[in-house]
Amino acid sequence: MDFNVSEEITSVQQLAAQILGDFAAVDKLKAIEQQDEVFDGALWQALAEAGLLGLDIPDTQGGMDLGFFSLTTLCEEVGRSVAPIPVIPVLVAAASTLRRFASDSQKDQWLPGIADGSRIVTAALEEYNNDDPTLPGCIAEPVAGGYAISGRKICVNLATRAARILVSAMNGDELVVALIDPESAGVTVNRQEVTAGDTRYELVMDKVQVPDADIAANGQWAVTAMRWAQQANRVALAAMALGVCDKMMRITGQYTSEREQFDRAIATFQAVSHRVADCYIDIECLRLVTQQAASLIDQDRPAEDASLIAKIWCGDVTHRVSQASQHCHGGTGVDRDYPLFRYCQWARQIELSAGSSARLTGELGESICKEYLASAVG
Amino acid sequence: MNIELTPTQKALQQEVRDYMTTLMTPELLEEMKNDDHKEGGGPEFRKQYARMGADGWIGLSWSKALGGKEMSHVEQYIFTDEVVRSGFAYPFLTTESVTPVIAAHASEDVREEVVGGVKQGKVVIAIGYSEPSAGTDLASLKTRAVRDGDDWIINGQKMWTSLANYADYVWLAARTDPDESKKHKGLTMFLVPTTLEGFSVTPVHTLGVRTNATYFNDIRLPDKYRVGDINGGWKLITGQLNVERLSLFTHGQVDSLFQGVGEWAAITDAPGGGKLIEQPWVQHNLAKVKSGLEVVKLICWKQAWAMDQGPLDMAYASTGKVYSSEFFVELYRLLLEVMGQAGTIAAHSPGAVLKGRIEFRWRVGSILTFGGGANEIQRDIIAMAGLWMPRTR
Repeated sequence: MDFNVSEEITSVQQLAAQILGDFAAVDKLKAIEQQDEVFDGALWQALAEAGLLGLDIPDTQGGMDLGFFSLTTLCEEVGRSVAPIPVIPVLVAAASTLRRFASDSQKDQWLPGIADGSRIVTAALEEYNNDDPTLPGCIAEPVAGGYAISGRKICVNLATRAARILVSAMNGDELVVALIDPESAGVTVNRQEVTAGDTRYELVMDKVQVPDADIAANGQWAVTAMRWAQQANRVALAAMALGVCDKMMRITGQYTSEREQFDRAIATFQAVSHRVADCYIDIECLRLVTQQAASLIDQDRPAEDASLIAKIWCGDVTHRVSQASQHCHGGTGVDRDYPLFRYCQWARQIELSAGSSARLTGELGESICKEYLASAVG
Repeated sequence: MNIELTPTQKALQQEVRDYMTTLMTPELLEEMKNDDHKEGGGPEFRKQYARMGADGWIGLSWSKALGGKEMSHVEQYIFTDEVVRSGFAYPFLTTESVTPVIAAHASEDVREEVVGGVKQGKVVIAIGYSEPSAGTDLASLKTRAVRDGDDWIINGQKMWTSLANYADYVWLAARTDPDESKKHKGLTMFLVPTTLEGFSVTPVHTLGVRTNATYFNDIRLPDKYRVGDINGGWKLITGQLNVERLSLFTHGQVDSLFQGVGEWAAITDAPGGGKLIEQPWVQHNLAKVKSGLEVVKLICWKQAWAMDQGPLDMAYASTGKVYSSEFFVELYRLLLEVMGQAGTIAAHSPGAVLKGRIEFRWRVGSILTFGGGANEIQRDIIAMAGLWMPRTR
């Protein structure tokens, strides 16, 4: 049993915090928010130059190969800074999945460009009312030399800038994981405004031709890949939520210590300080389950229940900390000239991504049911 | 980072688990049906406790000089977790928290008498802190000890003195500076043999178990039973409270309730066909319990691990106390809901589910949120020590 974070990973996290702190100052965030696409390309390049886009990419493909756990610490820091960069779809759902499940030639083709920031490969794991990439509604029809893929994916980051978009689709009973070129015939992207404030797209595919060279996985291997991607995605979201919530709580602790009413700092009222203390407890719980799941994935050990539990906590804690922070700020919290609102928007986006707490609690309950029914019979 | 037990730690866990099952004899289970013996004290309890001593299971955390094995906090937690899970009324406060303090601060005579007795499983010590008008504000306690030659004359009353009905000593906090405004700076610790003239006990029957009120009426106590410096008691009390929490909220005791209800719901028919566990609302409750339980496990592990690295962070200790106490209460409800009205049937009545264990645990559990330091105080500590917020008033 060891809760220690290695020095190497700690220094990576500090480096990330430093770069993100430089780029994500409030005036810079405001400027990016005025852009046509809310994405900080300069920050993305700075992270690439520091090697931070390649934390979970093999060194043979230009990465640092520090493992999945180190990548979750980057996600945490991005959450803490609310910097508009899609680290989870690109680095977790796409790159980390490809490094584990794609062919050597695909890895050679895509991973070096992701690590050095010259190319973006994003992922589109969710559909309407369906966050399970192992059971997509999209169809992959076999054609000569590849597949024709049809269907819709939602809330996709960087769909117009990406060289490829990782999607899953069904060929009858068989799952297919494909890399879609958004320039291909049959691809339409429609902008979607979302709570978090970054730019997303609905990806509509109508018989998009994907050559065999861009098929990342098939059949049972594809199911394993998408199950892994889903678990990693959930844990990365929980890590990002950790950064978002911790920062919201610190802002709130400081604000209530300075804000005076009735001739005293409002933090000297127990009714106020105890709400912030409850955030502290919630965040520690989230940290524990997130680190547990991240370290299991890092060691290639089963993390199905651990990742569900991490995302359930993530959904509950983001909601509670966000609302408590808003409440303790009074009107100041909702003012767009004050930094809190971005964190609250991110909190809600993360909460509802890759499965809400209600849905995942249902899924965990079914898994408990199966386990106990099986042992009752046996 | 690898938050799992190592093979050696798992082996220790299994070893303790196997050993403890041999202690829970049918005779002991029968004896524990008596409310006065639920928390130990009967002849069969005394027999098994002495057996633990003879088998070398007591004082594993102590220094080698005291005959211990200097187990790490992580190993100590694994031991504690399994002992609590077994249901044996092991006197943790005696062995893990008071005895090490006595070993470090008591006079030579008393150290041999008490530490040796505990090691053999022959001595149990009750805690005498709370009084009728001193609970959360412990430093306002009024029990007095006045120096008289080589002795102290003790007068006062203690409340919630659990185990005092069979304990061999009371670990007593008393005021030795007559100036009450000195509060915690005027307190001294004593070890009071319960055989002394002037000591008496009356039972207090609670929602859960039996506890006691204890009376100290002109007790003449030799100075050798004073532990630590005169007016230096507060430090010994606060150090002990931190250790106390490590045995109050352990994972195994509630994990076994979850498993018990899971197994029960998998063999119990639902009214419309199928098994109870196939109902979505049952699955919902079990999933809520499981996600909360995972945190209990990780918080306990992290606290034990952190104590092996250095002193435990105050905000962290309080975080564990608040979370676990409130989750335990929630867990009892979520599991009782699955059983419905059958969850109210008490142990030894026909139809009791899981021998009425959760019905009983809920009744005992009502003390958790205020016992061992009220949760409001813990939240104050978190806001100050964890978030640097100003003191509330």
